[in-house]
Amino acid sequence: MIKNKQTLYSCLIVLVFGFSLFFVGTDGFTAYTAESARVTKLIEEKPMFPEVTLEDSEGRTYSISEFEDKYVFITFIYTGCTTVCIQLEQNMAQVYEKVPSEYRGKEIVFLSISFDPTRDDPEMLDKYKDMFKSDGETWRMARIPNQNELDSLLEKFGVIVIPDGDGNFAHNAAFYLVDGKGSLVDVMDFSEINEAASKVTNLIEANKGE
Amino acid sequence: MGQFIAGLLLLLALMIPPVATLMESVMIIHMHMQMPMLIIAGFFMGRFFLDRFPQFFKKYNQNGLPGILLFTIIMVYWMLPRTMDEALTVQTVEAFKFISLPFLAGVPLRDSWKKLNKVGRNNLITLFAVMFIGFGWLYIQSNAQLCNNYLVIDQIILGWGFITMAICLVIYLAYSLLVDPSQYE
Repeated sequence: MIKNKQTLYSCLIVLVFGFSLFFVGTDGFTAYTAESARVTKLIEEKPMFPEVTLEDSEGRTYSISEFEDKYVFITFIYTGCTTVCIQLEQNMAQVYEKVPSEYRGKEIVFLSISFDPTRDDPEMLDKYKDMFKSDGETWRMARIPNQNELDSLLEKFGVIVIPDGDGNFAHNAAFYLVDGKGSLVDVMDFSEINEAASKVTNLIEANKGE
Repeated sequence: MGQFIAGLLLLLALMIPPVATLMESVMIIHMHMQMPMLIIAGFFMGRFFLDRFPQFFKKYNQNGLPGILLFTIIMVYWMLPRTMDEALTVQTVEAFKFISLPFLAGVPLRDSWKKLNKVGRNNLITLFAVMFIGFGWLYIQSNAQLCNNYLVIDQIILGWGFITMAICLVIYLAYSLLVDPSQYE
């Protein structure tokens, strides 16, 4: 099919170009969606959880330093969500169950953060937490009342929230793990419950062993 | 020269920020209208390059294969969910889109297409029909949001857009295999 040398060369050049284009474009054939690229980048950068004021289902307000020296297992949700949030929180409940009970509250705190602060007031969050048998203490649900603070957190952790105009939001979902110093250490696939639970447990145990 | 101007005007029109933003706001328009129009712009502008550098194309794209390879690579690249997303969020990727689709897909397609024989053309169309079905299936069945900037429903619409294109290609292939135009001339 290939009759002359130049054509062979140009085919090779095109192939090398294509290979490099895909290699660079997908971070070495690992990230084919912007979401996976985002996660890879986050884990590399380990951003700090910014200074924001959280208000939980019991109306208590505090910053992330409330959980100093503890791992914080975080999800981002809104209570009006009828699709992925429910799945996300159900899976979070399963991770919660799988982490040994002696660690809960002492070594790790679970935290669901709402990005719809106007509707998700403490009362609403209190109702929502009961749906997932969250105790409000070792697994808390909170909103960030200040929109600017909320936006800064969402941006830092790469949570993309698109309002659809009907009071719903399209958003990406994952498990976030922040360490005792407030920096993000891992972003996990929320559908891999066992993997997330064992990862968290191992980290706690390794941390205790030190 | 007229064709070159037409292609250039089309490219410039597509680059006007409000036009680009509008087209990119809907996923299927982004992929199935804006991107093909960029290729068409390149296809028109291709005339100029072919007239200007005939030796280059003759020498390095003698049988059309390198050009078609390049065209296919650029096409597949822009069908990835990630590149669509990054075109919206990363400036350089957006710039690369407006350069690569006209000049690395449109221009080589123009030169290569006329060099391919009927079998070559039909093979290429078959390849694209298969790829469109594959990408269509990917975008339809995926419950996860593949693109952070678009809703899942947009993604499903895009998937069906791919399938529709694939059906059209298959109809064309069936037609070209079953119907002999010379019988009707």
